[in-house]
Formats: sequence, structure tokens, C-alpha cells
Amino acid sequence: MIPRNKPEYLYVHVPFCKGICHYCDFAHTVYDQARADQWLNALEKEILYREIRPDLKTVYIGGGTPSSLNESQLEKLLSLIAPYSRHICEYTMEVNPETLTKAKAQIMADYGISRISIGFQCAQPEMLAKLGRHHTKEDVLNAMELLRSYGIDNISLDLMYSLPQQTMDMLKESIDTALSYRPKHLSLYSLTIEENTVFGKRGVQPLDEDTEADMYEYICRTLPQHGFEQYEISNFALEGFQSVHNRAYWTYRDFAGVSCGASGKEGLLRYDHTSSLKEYLQDPLKTSDIPLSKEDAMFEMVMMNLRLKEGMSLDLFQKTFGISFEEAFHGKYEQLTDSAQLCMENGMLRCTEQSWHILNSVLSALL
Amino acid sequence: MDQKNIRNFCIIAHIDHGKSTLADRILEMTDTVAERDMKSQLLDDMELERERGITIKLNAVQLSYKAKDGNEYIFNLIDTPGHVDFTYEVSRSLAACEGALLVVDSTQGVQAQTLANTYLALDNDLEILPVINKVDMNNSQPEHTKKEIEDIIGLDCEDAPLISARTGLNVDQVLEQIVTKITAPSGDPDAPLQALVFDSFYDPYRGVIALVRVREGTLKPGDKIRFMATGASYEVLETGIRNPREVRVSALRAGDVGWFAASIKSIQDVRVGDTVTGDLNPAKQPLSGYRKLNPMVYCGLYPSDAAKYEDLHDALDKLQLNDASLHYEAETSQALGFGFRCGFLGLLHMDVVQERLEREYNLDLICTAPSVIYHVYLSDGSMLEIDNPAKMPDASRIDHVEEPYVRASIMVPDEYIGAVMELCQNKRGIYYSMDVIDEGRNTIVYDMPLSEIIYDFFDRLKSCSKGYASLDYELTGYRKEDLVRMDILLNGETVDALSVIVHRSEAYKRGSGITIRLKELIPKQQFEIPVQAAIGGKVIARTNIKSLRKNVLAKCYGGDISRKKKLLEKQKEGKKRMKAVGSVVIPQEAFMSVLSMENDPQK
Repeated sequence: MIPRNKPEYLYVHVPFCKGICHYCDFAHTVYDQARADQWLNALEKEILYREIRPDLKTVYIGGGTPSSLNESQLEKLLSLIAPYSRHICEYTMEVNPETLTKAKAQIMADYGISRISIGFQCAQPEMLAKLGRHHTKEDVLNAMELLRSYGIDNISLDLMYSLPQQTMDMLKESIDTALSYRPKHLSLYSLTIEENTVFGKRGVQPLDEDTEADMYEYICRTLPQHGFEQYEISNFALEGFQSVHNRAYWTYRDFAGVSCGASGKEGLLRYDHTSSLKEYLQDPLKTSDIPLSKEDAMFEMVMMNLRLKEGMSLDLFQKTFGISFEEAFHGKYEQLTDSAQLCMENGMLRCTEQSWHILNSVLSALL
Repeated sequence: MDQKNIRNFCIIAHIDHGKSTLADRILEMTDTVAERDMKSQLLDDMELERERGITIKLNAVQLSYKAKDGNEYIFNLIDTPGHVDFTYEVSRSLAACEGALLVVDSTQGVQAQTLANTYLALDNDLEILPVINKVDMNNSQPEHTKKEIEDIIGLDCEDAPLISARTGLNVDQVLEQIVTKITAPSGDPDAPLQALVFDSFYDPYRGVIALVRVREGTLKPGDKIRFMATGASYEVLETGIRNPREVRVSALRAGDVGWFAASIKSIQDVRVGDTVTGDLNPAKQPLSGYRKLNPMVYCGLYPSDAAKYEDLHDALDKLQLNDASLHYEAETSQALGFGFRCGFLGLLHMDVVQERLEREYNLDLICTAPSVIYHVYLSDGSMLEIDNPAKMPDASRIDHVEEPYVRASIMVPDEYIGAVMELCQNKRGIYYSMDVIDEGRNTIVYDMPLSEIIYDFFDRLKSCSKGYASLDYELTGYRKEDLVRMDILLNGETVDALSVIVHRSEAYKRGSGITIRLKELIPKQQFEIPVQAAIGGKVIARTNIKSLRKNVLAKCYGGDISRKKKLLEKQKEGKKRMKAVGSVVIPQEAFMSVLSMENDPQK
């Protein structure tokens, strides 16, 4: 029987990496074959326990570095998900260029992986070294060619900007290089220095606000000239290649999350898995549940949707909460429309061109 | 207890000379407080006092002591604050005592407040017992300190106990001297009642509780009493003492220090300094009060949430009960809405009141920059007292302006004379005199505008003298100065709460300092904000707050939602002490920044 009310989107977290990137604060641990085997057993237990619907729309395997698993482990992972991915329309996996092999690419293709996300980050070898990355731009290109040879052409590249000592010219070079590799999708993230990262502990300072804004404006101006539409704050895609899975987050759909470090949301319940691999192995079924109030959920729905250029469907908001957006945010919403920070058009609520880049200020006013 | 076995005394000292520590030891050694209840600085029970390590409110406790003569004595110990701002509180405690312990830190010697407080005690005819503290420290100079007290103050120190309040060394000698040297109170328990109210506080269940020193007569539950100044009469419900917990007693007799409750709901009926007498058999005249100080520093206090105006009003009413030196009246600001213009004894007092309002009454306040009272003489010959720069009339109507001056006495070791004099000159000080106190120490006296002292003079004095200089000052009068109102414009609009009165010769320097500081403090908004300083409509300094170009989370996927929402909430929380003025949001610190100077890294 299909659990109809269960999420149609699944996130799987692979908590292993070959090395630790200096900016990363996702749950991860250095890859160890025996630990990875134990983790797969735990994951198997969890997947069987969770009621995952067999007609998932999307699966996203992120990390960590999913490609750090060895071939048989990768095959085991994908076979665990296979029963649920028969009707899938987008099946994404994150890949690290230096850990990809022909055999792994073959396995991915065999199991229907249709979309790959690669951390390109930047074009300069010395900058990559500073980030704690162990690949070169050529490695990225080679990985892309390899994937394409197995028929996987829907490839997204992640780039970073506002890096310490990064100049505008370096960013331009990185973007030009990335574009020349013909990806279908680009994510450009400004560096956020989190406390519990190597950067955070070293007291690395971000670039000044003005340079960061200059870089962001350059990105938003340049990528559309190459056919990449900015459909979300940090995401750009050729026509037809927006990420279906990530759009589910931004449109505030329910999603399931499995493995340590993963979160899920079902209606007014959010659950988090422990980020400690050790604890996960002890009890893979344990999650900490956070019940959401209706007010929490209403705000979150707006917070996520306004990240999209198209904004939020007012109809969907009304259907989800039984109250119109205008009523729910009465008083605050008028101020924001009066000051041209929000607009309503064709049943959608969205930021204006000016306010989109300062979404935090808009959201603060709605809190 | 027989009146002759009662001793009422207080402890006076320069700040940090060990007053509260000595009070703790006395409490311990009289066995009144069980050891397990002993927190350090027991008398400082206000959360703020403990945190800052200072005594703000006076506090009275009753102790019993078995002296070496074999008799049992009752000690009423009244704690006093040591900071220059709280001279008023000191004089209140003195009025309830017959004697004072003068604590002097033997590593520092006589300081400005040692002198000031001693003179207050002498004015009140108190017996003063010098106590030399901190003799256990390596750098203690007890003999030198004794000589200083004899030379500078003129008190005989031959018998002065050499103590360590920290370890308790020789504190027993202090206790014995309290018995032998301080006189017992006098007064007739059967005479008409005369009790001096020296403090009061509000208890939500019992109304106003008044702390009194009974001079004549007896006060007991059931008595009908009258406050002589306000005329209000009540029936006494409870009388008691503190040890330091409240303990009920059957009566307070002439010579006693204690409290009474009479279900007093009207806060205005009880004035500190008033005399309580019997309603049926009143005393012929009230007791003489004590030196009452007027506020010297004024600022505007506004609730950041306009709906909390009444709460703030209520809180000020209650706070004033045991802080009679706090003045306030309602005022309105175009920028900040409804609030109060409040008068304080000094900056620390202002700080303490503001913090107490926020903590004890859970209010979120916007506080404008402190100002003194200016005398503004108009062309028509009349004079206005201006305590709010925004109220300064138009220059065309003004004949001249006078500002309050103080005579500041600063005690300072030789090596810091240069630095201290430079500081005084920078603050528009006029040199008055310099005297050598003893080898290596001097008293420098300057006449200075009070407005220059109130903000950070004390902090700067401490930092330029490595903490060795000490300050006391008294108001000497008003002087004519070339003073002008400087307005601050944000986004083209004058923000009345940011106006400041400055000396014309410093206007440009101050104007650019303030605009630069505001630029740092006011968060970027979605449009560029010009910040201007202007005198009489003429802009003398300007800068721009650039617009906010990017403020968005880089990543927000499924697992990030809760965390990112918390982040936004935290950012929002940080904006609590901000006030939207027109289209610009101004943080609390900005209102203080009008006191900042150009090239002033400290502020």
C-alpha cells in the first residue's frame, strides 16, 4: 500500500568525505571503509523502518561526499533506494571530481541517477588549496566528460564567491571557466563563515560588504546573458534545468530525510537526525522532533518561497493554512507592499527586484 | 533593650576601599547571619550592585554583639554607597546614625571621596572611627595612611584598628570600638513620636515600607501616624527590623532603626526625609532633614515600544520611592514619542536607574544623551532653564547662555599630574589651584563645565592616571559661554532627540565626530541616508550611510529552515533597542553618540 500522505521528495545524507573543506559545517567525518559499511547497515535499517513512498518524485543524495564511498558501497546505497525510485523524475547525487571513477559512473547510470552536482568552487588552484579542496578545475572537466560518456549530461556546478582575498577578476575567471564546461545549472554561494568550521576557528574574515555586493551583482547580470536564468537567490539554470528537488524545499513541500545529519518535514512536524555518526550507528531510527506552530510554518513557507524569483503562490498558501497571506501577515504586509518591497501579481507574492537581494530585511519585517 | 546598649553607625569610604567587605565581616562576627547564608557582599542585595561590585542603595541591618564588658549590644549598621554620584544617599544614612566607621585602604591612602564623606559625617556631628584596611596586602602602608588621615583630615589615628576586612584580622577591635567610642542614642520613648524616614521601598503585598530612625517616642502596630510633610495619616500594621531578613518586632523606640508597614498604597505620601509623628499626639515640629541634592544631569527616557509608556510611568513612581534624588516629568519628542525627562545626580546614577528599569521592571528603553541645565537668557530679559537641548529657543531670541560649572578636586600622584591637567584642559577646564598633600601626592583643582564632566570624564581620569587619580566635585554656579544648539538631521529631517548643546568653538569638531559615529551605528537601510550636523539651519558636517545592497542567506535548503529562521529571529532580537524615526531605524547607542568627539577611538 502506498502511504499517500508521505512526502514525495527524499534526501539522503552521506556523512563521509575524503578531506574536510575549510568552510563546510555539514555533518561529515573522514571516510573509513569499515565505518561506511556500518553506516550502510544502519541506513538500511532506517529506510526499512520509515514509510517511504515507492513513487518518489525526486531523490537527492548529498553530503558529505557521496562519491567517497567505494564502488560496492555506492551500489549498496543505490540499491537501498531503488525500490522507491522507479517513477522518479529527478535523481541527483553530489560528486567530488577526485573521487569519481569509471566504475562509479557506470553504477550511477545503471541506477538511474539523472543529475549530478559538482563542487567546482573556483578556478584558481591556490584558492582551492585555501578552501581545503583537493581538486583542480581540470579534474572537474574530466569528471563531467566521464559522466557525459555514461549519458549523464544534467550537471550542476557549485561556485563560491566573497572568498578571502578573492578579487573580481578571479571571480570572472571562475565563471568563464565554469561556463566553458557547459553545465546545465549553476549555484553561486557567497562564503558564509560558520563558527564550527576551519575558517571559523581560524578567525577568517569575510570580504567587505561592498565587494561582496559587487560580485553578486556581477553574477546576477552575467549569467542570464549566457542563458542561465536566476530562479533562486543563489541558483541559475538553463531553460528546463531548474532543480526539481530543491524547488520542493523552496515551495515548502514536505520532504523525507534519512541518515545522520538529515532533516525532514511532514506537515507541522520537523525532525532532525543526530549529526554524530556514532550516535546514528547506535540508533538509526532516533530523531529529534520539532513540532511547528501554524505561525512558524506560515512564516517558513514565505521565507522559503520568497527565495524564488517567481515568489509564492497565494493560492497554495491559502490552501495550506486556510487563511490568506494578507490576513495572516496583516499590518506587516501592507508596510512592505507600500514601500515596494513585496508585490502581488498573477496570484503570486514576490520580492521586487530591489528587495530580493535584501530578503533578510524583508523577512525580518514579517517576523 | 536599654537605649544605652544601642549603637547606630554607618561605614563610609572611598569606592573600593572595602566598605562592603567590612560589613560582611561584621555581620559574620556578630553571629547574626548564619555562615551558610553568607554570600559575599551581603548587604548589596540588588542584583545590579552585586554584579558591579558597588553599593548603590543604603541598607540597614540589626545585629547583636556581646562585648568584652560582658554586655549585649544592638548594632544598627547602615551601609552607604561610595561613588561620587551617591553623596545624597550617604547623607541619608548619616542622618540615622551617631557614628561612622571611616574605612581607608592602606594601599591607596586618603582619596577624594574619603574626604568628601568624612566632611559629610562631620557636618552631621557623627563620631568618626578611622579604620585602616587591607593591611594584609604586600603594598600596604598602614603607618603612612594613618599619618595621611591625621594630616589631611585631622582625625586622631592613634587607636585606629589595622585590619584586613577580607581575612577578618582585627575586626574584633572595630567591634569593641563601636561599643566604647560611639555614643548611644538619646531620646525619650515616651515623648511624642519623631521618626526620620531615610529610605522606603514598595512591596506589592504590603504597600510602601518605610525605613525609619526613631528619634523620640515609640512606634508600634496599631498607632495612628502622620507624615508631617505630606499630611497623610495611616494606621501602623507592622513594625520590624532587618537582620538582614525582615523580622517583626513589637515596637520601635527612641534610638531604634527599623521599618514599618501601614498598607500605604499611595506612593506620593511617603517622602524620604519626612518625619513620622503620632496623629493624636503630634510632635511640635519635624526633624531637620538633611542636605538634599538636586539632579545635575538630565536625559530623556522613552519606551522603545510606545505601548509601554504607562508601565514606564509606574516603574518610575516605584523607583523614586527609594531613590528620592530621581526626578522625572513627562515630555514628548517628535522622534521618540511619549516619554520622560529624568534628572539624575550623575552619570552612574543615570546608568543604574536605566538598568534597574530594564531589569526590575522588564522595560526596553531608549535613553537620550545626558544634558545639564542651561540658563538661557532671552532678548526680552527673561531666563529659561533648559534641560533638553531640543527645547533651546531660536538663536535670534537669545541674548546669552550660561552653563553650570563645578569645582573639581582631583587627588593625583606626581607622575600623572601632566596627563590629568591635559585632560582637564581638553574638557574646557580652568586651572584653579594645586596643592601638595604629602610627598608624591597632590590635589589639583579645576573649574570645569559640568557638561564636560558628566559623560566620560571619570573613566578618562582613571585611564590617564592608571586608576590612581580620584575625583570629587561640587557645583559652583553658572558662567556665560558661547553655546549653540547643534541639530542632527537624518535623511533631511531633524531628529529632536539627537540635538546637543555645544561650545561654538568646538562645533565643527563635534559635528563631524557625531556624524561619523552615527554612520557607524545606524544600520544600513535600503536607501542612502544623509547624516548632517547643522547649527541654525546651516550644515556644518555631513556624511552618508550607504544603502544596504545585499542581505540574504546564501543557502537555504530543507535542513536549514529552522536554523535560518532562528538566525533571523536573533537578528531581529538585536534590533530591539532601536527606534524607527521616520524611515530610519536608530539604535540606542546612536543617542549617546552625540557626546562623541572626533578621532575618538574610545567611543
